[in-house]
Amino acid sequence: MHIFKKNGIISIMKILNAENVSYAYKSEEGETLAVRNVSLSIEQGEFVVLLGHNGCGKSTLAKLLNGLLLPTEGTVSVYGTPTTDPKKIYEIRSKVGMVFQNPDNQTVASIIEDDIAFGPENLGVNGEEISRRVEEALEAVGMLAYRKGTPFKLSGGQKQRIAIASVLAMHPDVLILDESTAMLDPCGRQEVLDTVRHLNREKNMAVLLITHYMDEALSADRILVMEQGEIVRMGSPKEIFGDINLIKECKLELPISCKIGYALSQNGFLTDTCLTDEELVEAVCRLS
Amino acid sequence: MTRNVAFGQYYPTGSVIHRLDPRTKLFAGVVFIVCAFLASSYWAYLICYAFLFSVVLLSKIPPLQVLKTVKAVLAIVVVSVLINLFFYDEGTVLFSWWKIKITDGGLLYAGKMVLRIMFLVLSTSMITLTSTPTELTDGLEKIMTPLKYLRFPVHDVAIIMSIALRFIPTLMEETDKIIMAQKARGASFDHGGIVARAKAMLPILIPLFVSAFRRADELALALDARCYNATEARTKMKVLRFTWADLTAFLVLTACLTITALIYAGVIPL
Repeated sequence: MHIFKKNGIISIMKILNAENVSYAYKSEEGETLAVRNVSLSIEQGEFVVLLGHNGCGKSTLAKLLNGLLLPTEGTVSVYGTPTTDPKKIYEIRSKVGMVFQNPDNQTVASIIEDDIAFGPENLGVNGEEISRRVEEALEAVGMLAYRKGTPFKLSGGQKQRIAIASVLAMHPDVLILDESTAMLDPCGRQEVLDTVRHLNREKNMAVLLITHYMDEALSADRILVMEQGEIVRMGSPKEIFGDINLIKECKLELPISCKIGYALSQNGFLTDTCLTDEELVEAVCRLS
Repeated sequence: MTRNVAFGQYYPTGSVIHRLDPRTKLFAGVVFIVCAFLASSYWAYLICYAFLFSVVLLSKIPPLQVLKTVKAVLAIVVVSVLINLFFYDEGTVLFSWWKIKITDGGLLYAGKMVLRIMFLVLSTSMITLTSTPTELTDGLEKIMTPLKYLRFPVHDVAIIMSIALRFIPTLMEETDKIIMAQKARGASFDHGGIVARAKAMLPILIPLFVSAFRRADELALALDARCYNATEARTKMKVLRFTWADLTAFLVLTACLTITALIYAGVIPL
């Protein structure tokens, strides 16, 4: 649907495009620039991770991408429609689904299926279709068995999967997870990440994962590194984690496998950068 | 305890009563309350209780489960019985000691009081036991629909109610956490007089309010992100349907109400 043929060349259209976007919070003491001159785009089926330490403007950027905040300068557009168009804003928000940090603060109903139905109900989808979407969304996050239950009795990871399902029911093309794993325990974090990867691989859902956990970025197609409101670097996991100076400058923490790999290469044992545990194990085994 | 409030008291069995339109159940609630106040003789109560019992049977909820709901108001029942026993002084005196007289009239009246309070609680519990909070708010929204023409924000009020219900367990859990945190820092909540105790509540209430506001802020963003207010033509996943069962329920309820009213008015001499 979003693949265009132009002069005989097939090009995949960008879902989301931000150009020279800046955002300033206004307060009595004056303006604080939270996002400075950021340009980025997300294409169909991509898995992009946005890294940055606390207070670097990640969340502000996320809110700019679906029109919850409007840029002070520059434009954000979804399928070519700017977020500043008040008539199209709900269409944009249904295409760019957003999952927040605290799962407790984004459920509106006491029963899971009613909560999932909330989005499509707002969009005016008819009853039978909503019912189908609810089933499909719960199936996609592996929570169909809980349909009639209450979110209150679930674990953090399960609650966050429900939050993902409630966004999926609006049929978005890109899923933005704004630090959605930050409040979860390691098991819950893994649960949510597995769900997101599954959606990305099986349903070709574009994902923008915002996080400060480095290990979540290892399997990304592309990593964006943010520092003081700016995107300071963009690249593949190998490029980013291979650049130890950049990581230090941005006050980020390398994943443990990268750390060991880096230490080994400093001492002349390894030549390649190792990303995952498996790669490291393989490289170390090849040593002898 | 926090765990139970999540669902209200909903006890799913999938019975006929559960499947009734929530509007019918809300009407039933009104009828029950009116009946409880109109019922003036033991005969009237017999009819009311017989009706209630048949509803319980139809709902397939274990009667003991229903009876448990009275526990919450047991203290009120006991106090009202004692007050009525001691201060009702018509009729022949059965027992007297110092200034206290117990009369047969008082005994009868106290008995009615017990039946009345129990009926109120049991019958309204039957509504919450057989319907989810969402169903009830949906029902209320439908009933309030005519107010739309007076520019009353019917749908917003319904959403506010459903969110309020949804956040009760969350905020209760939060209160527990704050109490424990304050206790860990040496606060005590069960010593001293009323004033001291009320003052001790402040360190609980203030953090609770702050956190509730923070939650509200995030929830507002989440509502926006999920296109709340996207269209005037909002749809519903579960469309309320008025069925034959609802019509029957309406007729039976009206009959029950009429009989109780007639007994009250003295038309039927029971």
